[in-house]
Amino acid sequence: MLDAFLAGAHQVFAFDTLIYMLIGSVAGIVAAAIPGFTVTMAIILTLPLTFAMDPLQGVSVMLSVYVGGYTGGLISAALLGIPGTPSSVATTFDAFPMARGGEPGRALSLGVWASFFGTVISTVILIVAAPPLALIAVKLGPWEYFSLIVFALTVVASLVGNSLMRGLIAGVIGLGLATIGPDPMMGRPRLTFESDILMPGLPFLVVLIGIFAISQLMSEVEDQGEKSGQALIPDSIDFKTWAVMREVLMHPVNLVRSSLIGVVIGALPGAGGSIANLLAYDQAKRSSKTPEKFGKGIADGVVASEAGNSATAGGGLIPMIALGIPGSAVDAILMAALMVHGVSVGPRLIMDHPDLAYGMFVAMVVSSLMMLVVCVLSMRLFLRVTDIPKQFIVPTVMICCVIGAFALNNRVSDLYLLGAIGLIGYGLKSLDYPLAPLVLGVILGPIAETNLRRALMSDGDWTVFFTRPISAVLLVAALLSVIFSVRSILKMRQKNRPATDEQDGD
Amino acid sequence: MFRKIAVAAGLMAASMVAPAQAQNYPEKPIEFIVPWGPGGGSDTLMRIVAQGLADETGQAVPVINMPGVGGNVGLAEFAKRPADGYTISQIHEGLLISNATGITDLNWNSFMPIGLLASSPQYLTLSKNDNFSNFEEMVAYAKEHPGAIRAGVTLAGVPHLHMAMIEDALGIQFSYVGYEGTGQRIRALVGGNIDVAIGDVSSAGQFVENGDLIFAAVGTPERTDDEPTVPTLKELGVDADLTVTRGVVLPKGTPQEVADQLEAILAKVMKRPDVIEKIKNVGSEAVFLGQEEYKTYLGKLDATVGRLVGKLQG
Repeated sequence: MLDAFLAGAHQVFAFDTLIYMLIGSVAGIVAAAIPGFTVTMAIILTLPLTFAMDPLQGVSVMLSVYVGGYTGGLISAALLGIPGTPSSVATTFDAFPMARGGEPGRALSLGVWASFFGTVISTVILIVAAPPLALIAVKLGPWEYFSLIVFALTVVASLVGNSLMRGLIAGVIGLGLATIGPDPMMGRPRLTFESDILMPGLPFLVVLIGIFAISQLMSEVEDQGEKSGQALIPDSIDFKTWAVMREVLMHPVNLVRSSLIGVVIGALPGAGGSIANLLAYDQAKRSSKTPEKFGKGIADGVVASEAGNSATAGGGLIPMIALGIPGSAVDAILMAALMVHGVSVGPRLIMDHPDLAYGMFVAMVVSSLMMLVVCVLSMRLFLRVTDIPKQFIVPTVMICCVIGAFALNNRVSDLYLLGAIGLIGYGLKSLDYPLAPLVLGVILGPIAETNLRRALMSDGDWTVFFTRPISAVLLVAALLSVIFSVRSILKMRQKNRPATDEQDGD
Repeated sequence: MFRKIAVAAGLMAASMVAPAQAQNYPEKPIEFIVPWGPGGGSDTLMRIVAQGLADETGQAVPVINMPGVGGNVGLAEFAKRPADGYTISQIHEGLLISNATGITDLNWNSFMPIGLLASSPQYLTLSKNDNFSNFEEMVAYAKEHPGAIRAGVTLAGVPHLHMAMIEDALGIQFSYVGYEGTGQRIRALVGGNIDVAIGDVSSAGQFVENGDLIFAAVGTPERTDDEPTVPTLKELGVDADLTVTRGVVLPKGTPQEVADQLEAILAKVMKRPDVIEKIKNVGSEAVFLGQEEYKTYLGKLDATVGRLVGKLQG
């Protein structure tokens, strides 16, 4: 084992590999920082380049893109309030208010350190516990997945913002939008009204960009009255790397809990960074002594969301390295890269190619260090973004969003959808509807439907959801989560009643 | 946008003068529309072919993924492209099934099939369970308990067709559970959430080697080099051909000279040792059938699909 470890490390620490990984890290961070471009796209672009490399070298470069990408989404989330990738939706909740409050440097540094520790924790778990965790993950059937998604849907309660009713309506709109297009089992068209535009359904990324980016950019434009021509956040290029590192380490429980959530969600094939990001945020808020500070720029919110999404990188590798089953689309591309080199990826990978498996562990650690170095060194540059006057930054970001939405599937019709969804998002935002529940509905709806139908096709008996232990535990957790939320909302309402008018009908 | 218009204008101009230029084909990059998402079987194979095409012709061959509705979004777009040989695409058995089940109006003969390039042998794969551990036991169990065996398939997709062919030949009945993609099916099979599925060497081979799964039969006419101990369905008395074949098509109306030249180039690509080896590495086999043979193959397959379509619409 030590031999294999050294052999792997030896290959990763070759000079040319390290240079390629550095380039990969920068590419991943930049791609994810631009709203509309995703980590997956960056990795697909890397794929043909790795054909000419050794297998481990190629995979190391892809891992550096991957790890960089999970951090890069933070940058636009914190500075622009737009999630740079689907995995950084929850990051906007606190990192953006913190940046707007005059601390963009702190918001970025917090996220970068949380991402770093999240990746490292997930890599440690990957090394120590990959085979048993993978075996558990593979045993989970459609029942467990469905119950997990039911539990995840209760996160909506944490995301509702000012009004429970408007939050729930947004969630239901999201679930409804997700049913447009071919149904996930048979590919039969639903709610497409014979229209070519709707026939392929609403791509998740287009919804995400439309809902978050366009509405955010519109409100920036709207906001110009008194501060016309001003930068987004003036005069705040100021950050204290080491002080913030200590600050992140001051939240050890949150850091470890969020990373564990990330690892578990990452290890479940089909879930992913976006769910981990939201779940980790939700759990941090629930266990906080000051939940009312969440959403206003609290450090805990940034740490939880970024540690949560970054930990899915290591989590996703668990089923891939242990069993040859990809945990996410990115892992599937990693596997394809290995297979083209003649490395068959499966349960025997660790036995047949131990140097490769251990080399990947080393590469994960090196990638996270590189991500850290690149981010800390380039922080000043990213913070400059906040100095650019709005009339330049808003159109530039808008163009990136449009290009990104097109590049996803190379379909022009997606751009019309983007425009329409952007208007809906802007409308909802203007009416003070929270947007996160809508996006959560779009993410979770199809997974819930697929697994519910799959479960009932496997066994028509509904009670199986309660007789399979993990599924039952998850359903109970979902129930408790709802009870807990209702109680805390009622409590807060009682506290507020004398002070404010209750204007919602709920 | 301007670039796009310029490119489109260029393509149009090229298509008007195409016959005169046919000798020099290709003299500019060829766009390769892969109507599936990145990372899947078609995408990986077609990227290898695209690389080979680029090496052979000296022109860039950018792969453009246009996934959606089981490949039909990309093919619908492809059908509208200029028929000049500078946009090519790829089809497999799934198109014929989508057509038969009414998901798309397009069929194989909506395009000009140029060459069948890669064939992936499919294996009937069993999970480790108490009821059966080989082909005969499975058939016996299925006859005693109709509908008790859970088969994971892409509903109304190629694996569904393959299972229906086995059902049809043996007079047995599976109950189907929808899973998208071979990776998902193999995962469910290993986890014991389904009992049988169609798998291939690249996704299931190591589980079989490890003793977690069993290859009960292979759907090729002869035993494969990868798994020489696995009997063919023919040996077991089932007359069914279970392969996924992928080939390149041109839009209908492309000048015959261009089609012939592309066919000749593809034939050379499929003889390149690096292409052959990479395709083998991803669990498929590099083959080559030219225009006429490919059309014959597709026509025959279409008849089978038409016969079994009733079983796929459940």
